[in-house]
Amino acid sequence: MATARHHRSGEGLLSQRSLPLTELKTPPKSRTAVLSRRLWFCVYLPDLPLEASGFAAQARAVVEEQQGIHRVLLACPEALAAGIMPGQSANAALALLPTVRIEERSHLREQQALEALATWLEQFTSVVCIAGPDVLLLEIAGSLRLYGGLLSLRQQLAAGLRQQGFGASLAIAPTPLAATWLARAGRRACIRDSANMVSALRSLPLACLGWPAATCAALTGMGVASVGDCLRLPREGFARRFGVQRLIELDRALGRLPDPRTAWRAPERFCVDYEMTEEQSDREILLAICHELLFSLERFLLTRQLGTQRLLFSFFHLRGPATQLVLGCAGAERLAGHWFDLLKLRFERVTLPEPVIAVRLYGGRNQALHAESRRLAFHGKASGQRLRYSMSQLAERLAARVGNPSVQGVTTVAEHRPQRAWCLQSLLGEKAGTKLATIRHSLKRPLWILPEPALLPLEQAYPVHQGRLTLLEGPERLETGWWDEDGIARDYYTAVNPYGMRLWVYQNRNRTAAWYLHGFFG
Amino acid sequence: MRRDSASLDKLLENPRLWRGRSPAPGMAGLASGYEVLDKHLPGGGWPRHALTEILVERYGIGELRLLMPALARLSVEENGADFAEPGWIAWVAPPLQPYPPALQQWGIDLARILIVRPKSDDETLWSAEQALASGTCAAVLLWPEVLDDQASRRLQLAAEKGGSWAIAFRPLTARREASAAALRIELQPSPTGMRLSILKSRGGRPAVLHDVL
Repeated sequence: MATARHHRSGEGLLSQRSLPLTELKTPPKSRTAVLSRRLWFCVYLPDLPLEASGFAAQARAVVEEQQGIHRVLLACPEALAAGIMPGQSANAALALLPTVRIEERSHLREQQALEALATWLEQFTSVVCIAGPDVLLLEIAGSLRLYGGLLSLRQQLAAGLRQQGFGASLAIAPTPLAATWLARAGRRACIRDSANMVSALRSLPLACLGWPAATCAALTGMGVASVGDCLRLPREGFARRFGVQRLIELDRALGRLPDPRTAWRAPERFCVDYEMTEEQSDREILLAICHELLFSLERFLLTRQLGTQRLLFSFFHLRGPATQLVLGCAGAERLAGHWFDLLKLRFERVTLPEPVIAVRLYGGRNQALHAESRRLAFHGKASGQRLRYSMSQLAERLAARVGNPSVQGVTTVAEHRPQRAWCLQSLLGEKAGTKLATIRHSLKRPLWILPEPALLPLEQAYPVHQGRLTLLEGPERLETGWWDEDGIARDYYTAVNPYGMRLWVYQNRNRTAAWYLHGFFG
Repeated sequence: MRRDSASLDKLLENPRLWRGRSPAPGMAGLASGYEVLDKHLPGGGWPRHALTEILVERYGIGELRLLMPALARLSVEENGADFAEPGWIAWVAPPLQPYPPALQQWGIDLARILIVRPKSDDETLWSAEQALASGTCAAVLLWPEVLDDQASRRLQLAAEKGGSWAIAFRPLTARREASAAALRIELQPSPTGMRLSILKSRGGRPAVLHDVL
């Protein structure tokens, strides 16, 4: 499971390195020059287990198994008002409030919620780190100007989190650990200058450091209750008793040691589900849901400056397999409006066997968007007005309504056998190297060709097609293809029948010498 | 005095004004490649940006050959103000498979051919209308099963809007039906060649031509 990778705050992030002996005794020099360029924004989500368990109108409590007993971990305000308290057993909670919905804690769901949030936060900065099961860190020094300053950025972030239903504790500090500790302590701190760090951290209680309980208990027993107390202890002795890691953490929080972090990367493929509380068969509502999914796809692609050529919608039913709908586009595209137009054309002819319980949108391979250059209208007659949409857009619209295989281009192949001298070519998708090749034919080719040559009946040894045929030109002998078991040996003629129809006929050069009709000159 | 002549010119420019055999100005046709036919068509060729109906009893008697020289010119011609590059030629619901090597022999650029095979007549008309109005197709050939007055009017409007040439192929029985097409011609096979009757021609007059091809 993904959560296994993240240990409690910071511990997993610390390397096994130890301090040089000199630094054990005297604190390393603060790297203020580096620090002044960094600013970390910590989003701490204390109620994540509750918030990730879904949204429901009734009172809820999340329980976790501790030593064989299901104990309440978190409860919503409504449940708290009824007297339910964290640490109670699930049975006690039910006795206090019989209507309470008890949910088992799901680390997987928490991780998913955290990743979704990290993806959303990527719009603010390129460095978003998942620094624990309930901590997100953003490096925002580079984004301040774009978002109109620290205050405005903080407001936008807080509003966005609130809108998504997350109650977060926010803190800003020049080092990631300091920001994390401040957020855990619930201080609405905003430290921009590293000179103010020691004074801000000094009063923090040990509980917000995320250290093992045994360490905290030992320190409390010694009368050490805050970060400031820890800093007053002799460094060498502190490291010997509680481990070098703890000392490194303190140094990192104060900016005396570098604290490199790896930025989280959202998955490259878009895949989002929309689950409904009850089955839905109203097509308008389903379309609206798809529209919403397309908007999140657009946001996803926008942050990456990408587009995609294919989309797959899956409509899940309670019984029976899901209904699939594939949309294709001639070029990489990301605009929700454009995809929605195509979807509307296709959706009206999709039959849903049952009501839908969930919708999933799966994006195809992402591609770089190709910017199109538009010709400027130099003359009074604006060409832009007439050129409503491009060829690729027309092909997309037609394919969406008529069906993908029904919209084709054609090309020729260097081949003498008439039925193999051409092939269909898809207009959607990248154009495979066009196989345009010219072979000089001694005779004219017909404009219409039959998919399979038709046997012509004979009348007094003359071939007949709506009347006896008269041969006008020919023969053109085609004898080729012996190498792939589809060889031909034919004499082709241009013939005309009494109606004036010009036909392309051939006689097989074998014992039967049968006549066939292969095309019309149209 | 000068103002009077200017307003007269303006009046004469109106395509709705019918003046005997003189073609309406500003309606230069697309040369068909057949001199006899060009002489009888207003503007000296096929009406661009309009619907042409070709009534034919059975396919294969030369209805495509009649169009080929004009289509070949369209597929390579850079149509200046209208298209930044040569327009596409769309084939909507062709009754048989158009044979690419033959199209190439006639001088048509295959890279600009679009073939649509809709499953119903409704889709045929919709596809043709979309292609005509898109402004990217220089010509749209369609083979509808039924084309009533209203549908032909819609195609005519789409052709005007998108600056495209629409060609609808219809059976001879459609001759009595009303149509909004700018040009309607009927093709009859004859042992010596083909008899071509111009049934309706906006700005021209009906005629019967023998042995055009």
